[in-house]
Amino acid sequence: MKRKLFTLLTVLLLALVGCSSEGSSGDGEPEKLDKIVLADAGWDSIRFHNSIAQRILEEGYGYDTEVTVGSTPATLEGLRQGDINVYMEVWTDNVKELYKEMTDAGDIEEVSTNFNDNSQGLYVPTYVIEGDEERGIEPLAPDLKTVEDLKKYPEVFPDPEDSSKGRIVGAPTGWAVNETMTAKYETYGLDETFSYISPGSDSSAVATLVDAYEKGEGWVGYYWSPTWVTAKYDLTLLEEPEYNEEQWNKDFGTAFPPNDVVVAVHKDMPEQAPEVVEFLKNYETSNDLTEEALNYMNENDASAEEAADWWMKQHEDIWTSWVPEDIAEKVKSSLE
Amino acid sequence: MGSFPDIRWDFLGKYVEKFIKWIDTTFEGFFDFIHLISSQTINGIDSFLSFIPWWLFLIIIFLLGWRFKSALSGVLYAFFIFLIGTFGLWDVLMITIAIVLTSVVISLIIGIPVGVWMAFSKKFSIIMRPILDAMQTMPSFVYLIPAIFFFSLGNVSAVFATLIYALPPVIRLTELAIRNVDEDVIESAQSFGSSRWQMLTKVQLPQALPTIMAGVNQTTMMALAMVVIASMVGAKGLGEQVLIAINRIDMALGFEAGISIVFLAIIIDRVTSGVANSFQKHRGS
Repeated sequence: MKRKLFTLLTVLLLALVGCSSEGSSGDGEPEKLDKIVLADAGWDSIRFHNSIAQRILEEGYGYDTEVTVGSTPATLEGLRQGDINVYMEVWTDNVKELYKEMTDAGDIEEVSTNFNDNSQGLYVPTYVIEGDEERGIEPLAPDLKTVEDLKKYPEVFPDPEDSSKGRIVGAPTGWAVNETMTAKYETYGLDETFSYISPGSDSSAVATLVDAYEKGEGWVGYYWSPTWVTAKYDLTLLEEPEYNEEQWNKDFGTAFPPNDVVVAVHKDMPEQAPEVVEFLKNYETSNDLTEEALNYMNENDASAEEAADWWMKQHEDIWTSWVPEDIAEKVKSSLE
Repeated sequence: MGSFPDIRWDFLGKYVEKFIKWIDTTFEGFFDFIHLISSQTINGIDSFLSFIPWWLFLIIIFLLGWRFKSALSGVLYAFFIFLIGTFGLWDVLMITIAIVLTSVVISLIIGIPVGVWMAFSKKFSIIMRPILDAMQTMPSFVYLIPAIFFFSLGNVSAVFATLIYALPPVIRLTELAIRNVDEDVIESAQSFGSSRWQMLTKVQLPQALPTIMAGVNQTTMMALAMVVIASMVGAKGLGEQVLIAINRIDMALGFEAGISIVFLAIIIDRVTSGVANSFQKHRGS
């Protein structure tokens, strides 16, 4: 009996670890860093940007680097505590409250915007609209262009739990954007003919997409780019009215505003490694530049490191402008 | 020097992947059927539980505690449930109970016959043992993905994942219980000319019941331990609240949902082990 309870408690404790890693880091003077820890929150583009930063930090500035893997909240907490020094991709909109709390308290510092021309919203596989001759798929919803058009086609996206409705795979449970998506779902009046389900995690959402995609069935759900998913599968983003702040604040009835994906550092970094912060302040890419690398990874079955090396050779002009010339030279020679 | 030679066998994982996809497309209709039945069961239990007024539910919990433990325990258990209600988690509690109950019922429907068969057939038992080990030790995230392929997002996938983890104890303990039924009892039953079916239903199963109930108890606890993981495939309930709390670093909600699961575990554990004990006493007298 005790043992079973113990097992259960352990599971719960593990589950709660994410919520309870408060306050063990010491106070006092920040020490000089000899190792820079980056956050890997589990998706490919952050790994790719990590690899670029690592290459430059190691070869250019002579730092050791390390990557800590964890969920988004866990790694953000690590950044706040100083266990992680650099976070290459904070999707600020997705962790809005937490991020605001951390920057307001001065625990972390935003140094640059990595990119903000990314898109997010409801996607459908392109064959749903256009069909796919090669695979013999007829267009299921030929006039589907906007989110509101979905109302015409609930039967294309059947909900297995309620056959009278269609189903929208929403944003993962607990992500800030999930509330936005639920609001949109009501704003666009989709609640009459569709049900909305939050997958418990990002991978669950992708699994439903892959399943539908391989069978050539209808699927509509929340996703975002740049990701390997949007690079690998031919998806179409359903249109929404153009973003305007007033409408957005009222009922979210427009397209998403640009989501700033920023580079953030722990509060002690500017003192500990000012030259690194200087470099990170210049760090700027774009959705397309990132997706190029993701595509490369996917097509060549390449690791994030290999993609970073390839990308840095392709776009020398971009990254060399982030660092002083002597550093750029060192990095360049290491790439050859 | 001492590093592993350059031999790469990567077909196993790929083969499993292909196999899963083949099953998925070939037995789609079958999975839809299972999906329909399970989701009806879960929804049925859930709407029944939501239909019961809250005070009646508390009384039922009290009576269960009183009957199988003591009046004091009954009051305590009812108070636990009341507390969960005050956290604002009443409705999600009902969904969790529905999912756990459905998983346990299906576990018993599958598990007890399999256990009986294992007790009678040594060969089957030898085949099943490593499979049961695998079911218990394979990290659950691994089979969450096929669960989604087969049953799509939602409660049914959750029940499927829970089943894989919660089935083994009831199977193992049923096998053990049937095997350990006293030889003398079986011989005397034989001498009265009982058939094999009579032997099983009238002698072996009743004799084995206390141990089987211990298996039911364990299976239920394991099902409860899975609720957080199950919510990663879109199941609602207390597990989903824990998941939301994790994703937002919301310690307050995390604690409330977490302690609610603990309360539920304590109640279910005490009541089912009380049931097991009362069977034990019956046999003793």
